[in-house]
Amino acid sequence: MNIPVDLTLSLVLLSVLFSFGSSRLPGLIKVIAFQGVVVSIVPLIIGHDMTAGGILFTLATLMIRGIVIPFCIYFAIKKVAIRREVEPIVGYHASVLAGLGLIVAAMVVSHRFNAPSISASVLLLPTAIALLVAGMFLLMARRNAIAMVLGYIMMENGIYLVGTTFSVRALHIVEFGILLDVLAGVMIMAVILQNIKQTFDDVDTALLRTLKE
Amino acid sequence: MVEFVFLSPFVTGVIAFFIPRHLGRPLLVFTGALHLVLSVLVWLRQPEPLFKSYFAVTPEGMLSLLVISLLFFLISIYTIGYLKVSDIKSEHIFTGSMLLFLSTMTMVTLSDHIMVMWIAIEATTLASAPLIYTHRTSVSLEATWKYVLICSVGIAMALLGSVLITISMDVGNVDAPVSFSALTAVATRLDPMWLKAGFAFILVGYGTKMGLAPMHTWLPDAHSEAPSPASALLSGVLLNCAYLGIFKTNKIMLAAGLGDFSGLILMGFGLISILAASTFILKQTEYKRLLAYSSIENMGIIAFGTGVGGLGAYGAMLCLIHHSLIKSSLFLTSGNILLGYGSRLIEKTGSLANRMPRTFVAFFGGFTAISGLPPFGIFIGELFVILGAFKAGHYISVTVLVVSLCAIFAGFANQAMRISFNMSEVTIGLTEKANLVWPQYVLLLTSLVLCFWIPDTLYQTIMSAVTSVEGGF
Amino acid sequence: MIQSILLWVLAMLLAPFFSAVILKVKAFFGGKKGPPLLINYYTLAKLFKKGSVYSTSTTFIFKLGPMISLGAAVTVLLFLPFAGQPPVFSFRGDLLFILYLLGLGRFFTIAAAMDTASPFEGMGAAREAYFPIICEATLFMILILFYVLTGELSLAAYFSGTQPFGMWQMAGSPMLFVVIAFFIILLAENSRVPVDDPATHLELTMIHEVMVLDHSGPDLGFIELGSFCKLFFYASIVARLIIPFESGYMALDLCLFAASLLIVYMAVGVMESVMARYRMDRVPKFLLTSFALAFFATVITLEFLK
Repeated sequence: MNIPVDLTLSLVLLSVLFSFGSSRLPGLIKVIAFQGVVVSIVPLIIGHDMTAGGILFTLATLMIRGIVIPFCIYFAIKKVAIRREVEPIVGYHASVLAGLGLIVAAMVVSHRFNAPSISASVLLLPTAIALLVAGMFLLMARRNAIAMVLGYIMMENGIYLVGTTFSVRALHIVEFGILLDVLAGVMIMAVILQNIKQTFDDVDTALLRTLKE
Repeated sequence: MVEFVFLSPFVTGVIAFFIPRHLGRPLLVFTGALHLVLSVLVWLRQPEPLFKSYFAVTPEGMLSLLVISLLFFLISIYTIGYLKVSDIKSEHIFTGSMLLFLSTMTMVTLSDHIMVMWIAIEATTLASAPLIYTHRTSVSLEATWKYVLICSVGIAMALLGSVLITISMDVGNVDAPVSFSALTAVATRLDPMWLKAGFAFILVGYGTKMGLAPMHTWLPDAHSEAPSPASALLSGVLLNCAYLGIFKTNKIMLAAGLGDFSGLILMGFGLISILAASTFILKQTEYKRLLAYSSIENMGIIAFGTGVGGLGAYGAMLCLIHHSLIKSSLFLTSGNILLGYGSRLIEKTGSLANRMPRTFVAFFGGFTAISGLPPFGIFIGELFVILGAFKAGHYISVTVLVVSLCAIFAGFANQAMRISFNMSEVTIGLTEKANLVWPQYVLLLTSLVLCFWIPDTLYQTIMSAVTSVEGGF
Repeated sequence: MIQSILLWVLAMLLAPFFSAVILKVKAFFGGKKGPPLLINYYTLAKLFKKGSVYSTSTTFIFKLGPMISLGAAVTVLLFLPFAGQPPVFSFRGDLLFILYLLGLGRFFTIAAAMDTASPFEGMGAAREAYFPIICEATLFMILILFYVLTGELSLAAYFSGTQPFGMWQMAGSPMLFVVIAFFIILLAENSRVPVDDPATHLELTMIHEVMVLDHSGPDLGFIELGSFCKLFFYASIVARLIIPFESGYMALDLCLFAASLLIVYMAVGVMESVMARYRMDRVPKFLLTSFALAFFATVITLEFLK
C-alpha cells in the first residue's frame, strides 16, 4: 500500500462524487479543475524515478489540466452569461447514488485485471475506470453542453491516469502532443459553445436536434 | 525528409490564415501540386524519415497518401471555381483549415508510433471542425458540435486502447518501441488479454471516426452541412485515415495470432454499418446525406472485407481506393447541384440531364461507379469481398451483405433517377465552367483506368499492404 | 464503576454549558456580547419552577413525549465513553441498542407532536421523520466501517482508550470523510443550521422547534435538557475522532477531551454563523452527501485492507 498515492486517488474519486452532485456550472468547473490538479500530480508521487524532463512535463500537465482548461471553459461561461444550471436528465440524488454504485463496480471489476505496472497502487485502476465511466455518464445524463464538455475532460483525466503507469517508457514529447490535442479540442469546443449560445441563446442540447436520419 | 510532406502544407496553411483571398486560392492549388510531387517522390524513392521512432513509410500508408494527394490537388482546383460562385464569408479560415487538414491527414498516413497516430487523427478532427461550420448557419453549428464531441469522445476511446496496448507490452515483459512496426514484430509476446481489450477500444474509437455504425451519427450531418469540397475531403480521405489506424492495429492482432477475434469484431461492425446505411438510404430525402450514408455503407464493406481476410482483404483495399476517388467526385458534383438548384432536398431537383448536362455526366457516372456496377473498381472490390467471405464460409453474413447491397442499389438508383430525369421548373443559377466539372471527370477516369490497368509499382504497393494482413489470392 | 457513574453525571451537568458555547460564538460573529455561558442553567431552572399547561385535546402521549425523549438521551449517555474512560454500561452490540434508543426518543417526540393535532406540528413531525432516515443510513455505513476496522460492535470498543487512534492508523485518510459525515449527522440530528434553525420564529420553516411549541414549563425543560444531552453525545464522538490521542493521565485526558469538545461546539457555532439554512428540498441532498462520504470511506477502506 502506497499511502500518499492512495490518498490522492481517493481525493480523485471523491471529486467524481462531487461532480455528480453539483448542480451549478461554476461549481462543476471547480471540481474538474481540482480533479485535473490531483490527477496530474499522481506521476510525481507514484514512485517512478523522475528525470528533470519528467518533472517539467508533469508541471506542464498540471498547468494545462488544472488551470488552463478550466479557465478556458470558465471564461466561455462568463463571456456568454450562460444559465448556470447543468440541466440534468438524471437527477442529482440519483446521480450521486449512481456514482457510489459506479465506484463499487469499478473496484470489483478492477480485481479481475492484474498488471504489474498497475499494482503500484490498489486504487489506480478503479479510479481510472470510475473516471472514464463517470465522464461518459456526465455526457449522457446532462443536457447542458458545457457539462458535456466537462464530462469529456473527465474521461481524458481517466485515460491520463491509466497512461501514467507507462509514462516511464513513453517519450514526453508524445505525451505532450496528446495534451496539446486535448487542449486544442477543449478550446474549439469552447468556441463552438459561444457560437451555440449566440445562435440559440442557450446551451441546452435539446435545441440541437434538428438533424435526423 | 519524409516529414517535409506534412510540414509543407502545415506552413502554407498557417500562412493562408493571414493573407488576402486572391493570394489564398492560388496557394491552395500550389500546395496541392507541391504535395502531389512530394508524395510521389516519397513513394518512389522510399526515403528514411528523420524521426524513425515516430514516422515510417509503409505500403498501406503510401496508398492512402497517394490517394489523399491526388484528391486534394483535384479538389483544390475545383475549390477555386467553387469559391468564385459560392458566398463563403471568412475564406481565409476555409483555405487555412483545408491546408491544415491536409497536413494532419498526411501525418496520419506517415505515423508509425501508436500515440503519434492518435495525435494525428485527433488533429484531423480539430482541423476539419472549422470547415463544417463554414456556412455559419444554426444547422451547420449543430453538425459541428456533434462532429467535434462525438469524434473527440470516440477517439478518446482509441487513446485508451493505445494505452492498453502499451500495458500489454508491460505485462508480456516486452521492451520495444511503442510503434506499429516494432509491435507487429514482437506481437506473439504481447499479453493477449490486454491486446484484445486494446484492439476493441481502438476499433470503437477509430471506428467512430471512420463512420462505422452505431457510432456513425455525426457523419451524415457533418458531410451534408460542410461545403462540398470539404465534404469530398471528409468522405474521400478522412475516413481512410481512420481506417488506417484500425488496419495497423489489426496487423498487430494478426501477427499475435488473434486474427479470428479481430476479424469477427470487424465483420460485425461492418455488417451493422451496411444494414444501417441500407435502411437510411431507402428513405433519404437529401442527396448529400444520401452520399454520406453511402460512405457508411462502403466503410462497412471495407471493415467487413478486412475482417474476412484473404481475398476479402484485397477487395477491401480496392474498395478503399476506388471509394475515395468516386465518392469525392460525387461530393464535388453534389456541390454543383447545390449551387444550381439552391436546395439540398431531392424533391427540389430534377431534369439534371437537360439542365446541367456536364454535371449530369459526372453525377451519373459516379452513381454507376459507387453502386458497384461494372466496369468500375467498386464492383471488383465488392466481388472479391463476397468471394473471400464465401471461401471463408461465412454464408449467413454474405447473404445479409448481398441483400443489403441490393437494397442500397435500389434506393440509390431511385433517388438518382429522380434527380436526373424528374420534371423540374427550377431556374439554374450556375454556368458549368470547366474547372467545376473536369476534376470529377479525372477522378472517375482514374478509377476506371485503375480497373483495367494498374501500374506495376502501384500493384506491388497494394499487394505488400494486403499481404501484411494475410490477404491476397 | 463509581468513577464511570460520576463521569456520567458530569456529562449531564456539562451538556447545557457546552450548548451555550454555540450561542456565544454566534454572538461573537454577530458583533454582540451574547448571553452568559450559564444561560442554559438559568433557563432550565426557570422552566422547572413553572407549571405545565395542557391543551384539552391532548392525551397522555403528549405528557409522555418529553419524559421519554429525555430518558432516552440520558440512557444513551450511560454508554458513552467519556474522555475515553470506560462507560457505565457496555455490551457487545450496544450500538444498535443506542441507535434504536435514540429512535425511540424521536418516535415519542413525533407522537406527542401529532397528538396536539396542530397542522404545523404535523408538518414538523413529517420532516423530523423523513430526514433521519438518510442519517440512519449514514450511521449504519459508519458502523459497518468501524466493525470492519475493529471487529467489535460496541461504542466503548470504538471510542475508549487508544482505539480511535488505532482506527486512524488502520484506515488513514478515509477516516477524514467519516468525521465530516458524522459532523453532518450531528447537525441534522440536533436540528442545527443548515438543516434546521433553532432560533427561527417562523413555524413554516421549522423542523424540531415546531414540534415542541405546545410544551411548556417542566415539559419544555425536559425536552431542552434531552436535546442538550443528545448534542453532547454526538459532539463527544466527533471530539474523540478529531483528537484521538491519550496521555494516560486522567486529568490531562479530561482537559484534552474538554478542549476537543470545545472545538466541535465552536465549529457548530461557526457553521451557524456563516451559513444560511438550506431550502427544505436541498436538505436531503446535504444529508445524502454525508451518506456518500461514509459509503465512499467504507468502500475505500475495504479496498485498502485487502
